[in-house]
Amino acid sequence: MSISIEVKGLSVFAGPTRLMGPVSFQVPQGGTLVVMGETGAGKSLIAQAILGTLPSSLRAEGEITVNGRRVDHLSITERAKLWGREIATLPQEPWRALNPLMHAFRQVKETHLFVANRTKPEAAAETKQAFETLSLSGAENRLPGALSGGMAQRVAFAAATAANAPILLADEPTKGLDAERHAKVVERLAEVPQTGGTLLAITHEAAVARRLGGDILVLRDGELVEQGSTTTILAAPADRYTQSLLEADPQNWPKSKPSDIGKTVLRVHDLAVARGKKRLFEGFNLDLRAGEKVALTGPSGIGKTTLLDAMAGLLKPVSGSVSREKTLSKHSIQKLYQDPPAAFPNRVRLKHTLQDVARLNKTNWSDVLQILEQLGIHASLLERKPDEVSGGELQRISIARALTVKPKVILADEPTSRLDPITQRETLAMLDGIARANQIAIVLVTHDKNISAKWSDRTISLG
Amino acid sequence: MTIFFKSAIAVLATRGLQAVIVAIIVGIVSFAMMHALPGDAAYRIAAGRYGYDMMDAAAAEAVRLELGLDSPWFVQLWNWLGQLAQFDLGNSLVYGTPVVDEIATQLGYSLLLAAGAVVTSLMIALPVGIATALNPNGLLDRVTMGLSVFLRAVPAFALGIVLVFIFAVKLKWFPVAGFRGFENLVLPSFTLGIGLAAVSNRVVRDAVVDAMNSDWQMFARTKGLSMRLTLMRHVLRNASLPVVTYVGVQLAYLIEGVVIVETVFAWPGIGHALVHAIFGRDIAMVQGTALTLGLLYVALNLCVDLACRGIDPRERA
Repeated sequence: MSISIEVKGLSVFAGPTRLMGPVSFQVPQGGTLVVMGETGAGKSLIAQAILGTLPSSLRAEGEITVNGRRVDHLSITERAKLWGREIATLPQEPWRALNPLMHAFRQVKETHLFVANRTKPEAAAETKQAFETLSLSGAENRLPGALSGGMAQRVAFAAATAANAPILLADEPTKGLDAERHAKVVERLAEVPQTGGTLLAITHEAAVARRLGGDILVLRDGELVEQGSTTTILAAPADRYTQSLLEADPQNWPKSKPSDIGKTVLRVHDLAVARGKKRLFEGFNLDLRAGEKVALTGPSGIGKTTLLDAMAGLLKPVSGSVSREKTLSKHSIQKLYQDPPAAFPNRVRLKHTLQDVARLNKTNWSDVLQILEQLGIHASLLERKPDEVSGGELQRISIARALTVKPKVILADEPTSRLDPITQRETLAMLDGIARANQIAIVLVTHDKNISAKWSDRTISLG
Repeated sequence: MTIFFKSAIAVLATRGLQAVIVAIIVGIVSFAMMHALPGDAAYRIAAGRYGYDMMDAAAAEAVRLELGLDSPWFVQLWNWLGQLAQFDLGNSLVYGTPVVDEIATQLGYSLLLAAGAVVTSLMIALPVGIATALNPNGLLDRVTMGLSVFLRAVPAFALGIVLVFIFAVKLKWFPVAGFRGFENLVLPSFTLGIGLAAVSNRVVRDAVVDAMNSDWQMFARTKGLSMRLTLMRHVLRNASLPVVTYVGVQLAYLIEGVVIVETVFAWPGIGHALVHAIFGRDIAMVQGTALTLGLLYVALNLCVDLACRGIDPRERA
């Protein structure tokens, strides 16, 4: 059996600093390699080094052979010829990877047309076929902004694989997907080796690694921790770090003890909401009590975010009512966003943003610093701008920002879906601790059935 | 495409309504400002008609009677609005010719100058903006940044005079002023175009930098499209959106610039006519030219709106 990807002594440097490596591995044709590790461990650097898409500030060393051809010393133009034809790449954020101004169908068709060099009628037929297979029919003339996360994922998959490249690189392919879509994407990836393709998947989820099988590399801070057969390593990890990655899997969390529940703080009665002209759902009722932790689950696109916006008073419901307990102000309801960078002004220092909030709400700065300390954020981080801290840190800072307002209700819109499992677990544990200490009610939107079962007091399923 | 036409009709309706409001406001404001000017309008108009040396109090009185300048201001304004409702701009108080005829010849020249200015600004802004975007924060980027700030800060009339001094007086490449042929178009177009390009080259640069750093640009490449196809099919359309929108924002600068630059270069356009009409207290001409400039602003904004809708399918929903 021939070797699809062979990597010898690959390291990635930023100036003199080694960010990742050295790693060496071989993936045979029809084989699978899973790269696992927490965010910032340098997993994506491996994929970028193989493709040749490392940012210009970074430099790769080591031998990379793709389908028997050394590629590491080739020019970028030569390496670009492999893209789509020899190596297909699934993007990390399918939504952002699609051209916002082009209809879904055309974004897939152009790969058939220009990369697979099919004729126009052939390309149209192939694209139509792909849309049917991926149950995307009806979405042909939609713009990416009108696609759900799961649909965007499938459109990107169809576009990336149109030219039947034998190797598939998938970087965090399940990021932010709901349970059902998550399973489907993993199944689709698992089919790749069965049909003779080679799969290199990057993930932080042990469950995904387990399902894909093959071989595994575990990275921590850019260093190789463990390497070998996926089944063996996941069954009996030799390293403590691998062990902690497995424990951070929500499936393995202990059930949290019930919260101390007080009187009703927010009552939602017969609520119906709509986004644009599209009515999402109606007849939603909820009695939220002080200190209570409620999980809200449901497939993507059902309107969970819209529901939270209506509960927070950010969106006018179509019908029904949201009423706060009399003593609570509008600001006692705070929202946490799914994508922390999108919830901060990106050119303003974090300290400035937080100080503004503290001043507006007459909260002592020392109290804010204390909250940050509880959340494990060192005050020196606040001198940075939002894109200079990690996603996990930023999400904790956004929790601190919400707490600065001294809320009684926190509406959390998948606050940890973009974080790696270890950070996710820590963040949710902190949120739990703070809610208990201050009798704050939390509504947590989550895709993960394990999180809702283990973390919350009760679960409401939509749809 | 039908969706495009539907939204285009909605835009037309909004802009049409705006045009009516602009017409009324511009008419009233220019009328009020003319009345606020010191001096006796009848004397100035008589001087415009017969020359300063040939006129006297009797001539001024005759003008006053003929034009009804002694009737109360609201009667005069009402008459003008009434005529406007019949699409009649009246006659020039100085020359007696219909204002419409005067404007019809001048408008062509002003549009030519405006088009020349926009084309010049794009010819400067697009290459400079794209070149700086390819190496953000490089030397070229920082130099153009400084130069842009400087050129935007220089008023159009000063820039015009400097250009005339260098290229017309010293080098004798182009005529100083007036309009005899297309060689006259170059200096005024550059005067306006440089001011416009000073800002729009930065907008082009930012738009291209954003597009080139976008995830979708990277994905278009990794799915196998060549750099050229990625640029043609994805980057250009996305990057052109903020640029076209910004051209719309610049229209105010453009119209204001046309008035100044036409005066500096004695360009036979509407702006030049407006300034002359103000000096001659030719109220009908002032109202007519100001109205045309106002409507021109609305019409150009309409073009920008339609162009944005053509580029961005999201707007059509």
